[in-house]
Order: sequence, then structure tokens, then C-alpha cells
Amino acid sequence: MRSIRLKGLKKSLEGGLVLNGIDLVIPSGKFFALLGPSGCGKTTLLRLIAGLEQADSGKIFLGERDITELPIHERPINIVFQNYALFPHLNVFDNVAYSLKLKKLPKELIKEKVLKILEAFHLERHVHKLTTQLSGGQQQRVALARAIVNEPDVLLLDEPLAALDFKLRERMLIELIELQDKLKTTFLYVTHDQFEALTVADQMAIMNPSGQIEQIGTPKEIYEFPSTSFVARFVGTTNILSGTLHQLDTDPHISIEGLGQFKLQVPQKREWMQEGCNALISIRPEKIFISKKEVKNFSNVVKGIVSSIVYHGRSTQYNVLLNNKSRLQVFEQNEEHFPQEVIDYDNEVYLYWQKENVTLLEQ
Amino acid sequence: MKKKTLSSEYPFAIGIPAVIWQILFFYAPLLLLLVGSFLTWSDTNTFTGVSLDKFTFFFRGSYLSVIASSLLLALSNSIICFLIAYPLAYFMAFKGRKWQNLLLFFLIVPFWTNFLLHVYAWFFVLEREGFLNTLLQWLGITSEPIIFLNSTFATMVMMVYYYMPFILLPMYSSLEKFDVKLIEASYDLGASWLQTLRKIVLPLCSRGIKTGFFLVFIPSFGEFAIPELMGGDRRMFVGTVVSQFILGDETGSFGAAFTVFSCVVLLISSLALYFFIDWLLKPKATRW
Repeated sequence: MRSIRLKGLKKSLEGGLVLNGIDLVIPSGKFFALLGPSGCGKTTLLRLIAGLEQADSGKIFLGERDITELPIHERPINIVFQNYALFPHLNVFDNVAYSLKLKKLPKELIKEKVLKILEAFHLERHVHKLTTQLSGGQQQRVALARAIVNEPDVLLLDEPLAALDFKLRERMLIELIELQDKLKTTFLYVTHDQFEALTVADQMAIMNPSGQIEQIGTPKEIYEFPSTSFVARFVGTTNILSGTLHQLDTDPHISIEGLGQFKLQVPQKREWMQEGCNALISIRPEKIFISKKEVKNFSNVVKGIVSSIVYHGRSTQYNVLLNNKSRLQVFEQNEEHFPQEVIDYDNEVYLYWQKENVTLLEQ
Repeated sequence: MKKKTLSSEYPFAIGIPAVIWQILFFYAPLLLLLVGSFLTWSDTNTFTGVSLDKFTFFFRGSYLSVIASSLLLALSNSIICFLIAYPLAYFMAFKGRKWQNLLLFFLIVPFWTNFLLHVYAWFFVLEREGFLNTLLQWLGITSEPIIFLNSTFATMVMMVYYYMPFILLPMYSSLEKFDVKLIEASYDLGASWLQTLRKIVLPLCSRGIKTGFFLVFIPSFGEFAIPELMGGDRRMFVGTVVSQFILGDETGSFGAAFTVFSCVVLLISSLALYFFIDWLLKPKATRW
């Protein structure tokens, strides 16, 4: 249960720079998710922490200890591999007991520990089976059990649920959260799936395709207040509009060509925010209220025509064409507590949103 | 409608030529050998009966030691081949991915030339004024030329040289399919390189090792040409004795009996070795 600190990590693979100066603190005892698109180097980062690869430059600390040069088998860190990497010639018990046997623990103690953990993972009926005889979800549990039986300081999970179907994945996510809660081990969960990351993480970091960390924060901070347009676009769905900034100190607003002026809230003024400069705004589709009627109490409104409607079950997505030919996505919950307004194709609608729900981003 | 093919209509039809070949040139001669080894003939070549005499004839020191040397030759050859070929296969499969086609090519090139040419090439290397002696003297390791030819050493060199690819290729193909993630997982769980080799890599490619081992062991037991050409007449091996009997004057039935006798020895020792290697490579599961 120690933190991991990364300082200026750089790594090139086959000539290309994969990690470009990573500084990151993974707090001890937290469930930390590292989210990035495929090929952004997040797996390489995980492999550096595990010791499967050596960094070109930079340092890795576990707690206060510099482990940059420590060989892999001496690091108190274990991985759950993407395809589990279970040993096909060993049965479930011996897979899980592998690290304990290497430590030469007494046989009785090994049995006790392994059986206890297998029971906790509901695998007690499969102790003597070969791992190839298990289902995907069971193999996943064996991989987890094998990695944590040795009580590592840090558990690394490399897209561990990628091979499971959706229902099972949702259930395993909950189990992982509960497991982390119980063990208080530092978990580093690497994924390209924003749903998984948002679900499990206490804290998360977003990596961009050029191998840099874009933003670190809680899932809510990342989702509600993305600091760059990459984060806004990558995490969740969003609408991005571009315009010019005005009257930042008195009555901040952005004017967008063909649409008019929209009020903003600027909680923290940054250096790039200047009068008349170009900027982007991001509005989440669920933060927009759609109606055919005129409604008061919203700080911003724009008119448009419904170009398509997609029914998602729990929500409906409206794509609305604005006067300047740009499109906005709107999600509306299908809660149906009261009769809902019927909106159809080609209807003229008003889109409303509050200035607090707009994120201002650098162009 | 299902397309009719010869193999779907008469699944056995396609195998017939191979079966005929097998019967004519393998089972029939084997049966002749087997039967011939029990029959006895009088001096005038008339059939006199069935006996085990010819087998008891071989239960004497000189013949048993021939079989023992053949076993020793086969065993040492397969072990040396394994020790050389395993690291090479390991390197080719895990480290040499970039050059693996080139390495395989170099390995297969010798098969394009005739066996006798290999032998002559080794004569040039090992003879009194040969490459090896010149090199050793040039390096100042020896002052006088060493006589390498016509020795067990020369036999071993040629045996290893000739049989090595037979064990290398099956081991390479089983290592090449090996999932590197398993090795990484083993390191991650605290195993050293040696422990990983012992507990993960060797057990998981035991099939390749066993295949290769017996591809070397079985034919080197009966190897005739290499000891004859490289070893002089210093030591007798099964192949030499069999050829002497079979080609000799009216000793054919002794040759048959000796062949059968040594085949039985080979079969038993191969089975014993097989189970031994299997036991050696198998992971030791926790006992309950």
C-alpha cells in the first residue's frame, strides 16, 4: 500500500517516442485509472512500472524507494494481464500458488492462503481444474487471485475486462471496486474504455496519443471540467463550438459566427484567455434542454431544426442542425414521469443550457 | 448438395498407395526378419525347426557391450544435441525474431548437399594437416598436430553435426508458438530466469523436446555410416554388427536375430527414457 511516483519518464519503442515525459503520482490505497486511446502508450507505462521494460530516462518511485533499476521479480508489484496469461499446464490451485511456492512458504500455509482466496473469488469448486477448462469470467478471477495472493503493494490491471461480454464486465467492475475497497491495495487500471475508467476510479489520468498526461482528477472533475479539448472529446460525448471571447472581466461571453452571443462562467482566468481571442466551448449533450416552447430561467438559448432522432432506451438522442450549419447533440432522459413533449423530425426547437455547464477550452 | 469427392466417398481409398508401400517395404521385411530370426537351418540349407538359440547366442559380453556402446552413443548424442540446440532454438524463437528466416535458412542449407560430402568436409577439418590442427597450432595451443580422425571424438563431432537439426527444428517450432506473456507473468510473480525456464518454458515445450530427442535417439542407436567412416574400427556398434552378419556368408539369420534383439532393447530403453523425460519436465503439482 504505497504510492507510485513517476518522474519525467521517457520511452521510445522501435524508433517512435511512446512516452514523452510522464509525471504522475498514483496515490497509495486508491483505485487509479489511466485512460487513453489505443496506442497512446498507456500499456507501455504499465510495463515500465511492472519492470517488464526499462525507461530511457526518468525515475519510478514506490513510496520513497527508487525502483527504476529494480529487476521485475523483486518488485512488490503484480500485473493482471490483458489475456490473463494463466499457465495452461498448471491447475487453478498451482496457478494461484505459483508466487507463494517461489517464496518457499510452508506447504500448509500456501494451501491455507490459496484456498482462502479461491473461496473469496467463488472458485473453490474449480481448484483442481486446468485453467483452460474455465469460462472467461472464471479465468479472469484466477488471474486476479494469482496477482493478489502475494499481497503486492500495487496491483496493475491491463485492460483486464476487455475479453468479457458486457454484462459480465459490469459485474466484474463492481467486484473490482469492492475488492479494492477491502484490500486497500493501490490499483492502477489501464483502459481505453471511458465507461470502465469512470466507473472504477477514485482518481484518473487521461493520456493523449503523443504519450503525455493531459489531465488528472476525479472522474467527476474530468467529465464535468475537462481542461483540454482532447479530454472533452475523449471522455464521454460532447458538443464543441468555436468562437471569440469578449468582456472577460465584466460579462464574459463568447460570440459564435452565425449563432450570436452566449454567456460563460469563468471561475479561473487563465493566461490565454484574452479579449477577442479564439476559444472553444464544450457542452455535454445531457446538459442541454430541448423544447419546442420558449422557456425562461436559462442563461443561453439557440434555435435549430431536428435532423435526426436516435432512441437509446434510457435516453433519446436528438441531433439538431443550427443556423450556421453546425450540429448539436442533445440527450434527453426517457423518465416519462409526466407526459413528455413530442418532438419529431424537422421540428423547429429551442436548445437551452446554463452558463455553469459550459467548459471553456483553449483553441 | 454435398460435393462428392474420392476422400468423402471412400475415405480409405486415398490412403491405399501409402498402405501398400508401408506393407511391402516395412511390415513385410520386418516380418521376414522376425520369423527368420527364430528359424534354424541345417548345413545343407534344409529347414530344421524353430528355436531361440540365436538369441541366447547374443547373451554374452561382447554382444551386450556392442549394444551398450550403441545406447551410450545414442544417449550422449541426443543429450549433446539437446544442450546445443535448446539455447539456439530459444535464441531464434525469442531474441532472433528479426533474423529467424535467415537462421532457419542456414540450418537447412546443409541438407542440400549429400551426406558423403559432409563427411569429406569434416575430414578436411579434422585431418592431420587440417583446418582444426592448423588453427590450434597457429593459436599456439599445441605444437604437434593432434590425431582427431578415427576416434570416438570424430564420431561424436560428426554425429552431433548431422543430427542436431532434427532436434532443433521441433523445439524451435514449439518455442516459436510460445506465448511470451507467460514468461512475463512468471517474472512478475517473482520467478528468476532459471525458475521460469524450469517451471514454465521447459514443461510447456516438452512435446517439442521429446519429439526432437527421439528423432535423434532412435536413428543414432542404429547409426552405421558415421562410426564406420569417422571412428575407424576402434569400436563396434549395433549397425556395424548387423551389417557384418547380414552381408556375411550364411550368417543372415544371425543378423536377423541380432536386429530383432537390439530393436527390443531400443524399444524398452526408448520407453523408459520417454517416461523419464516426461517426469523430469512435468510440473510438480501440489499433492493432496
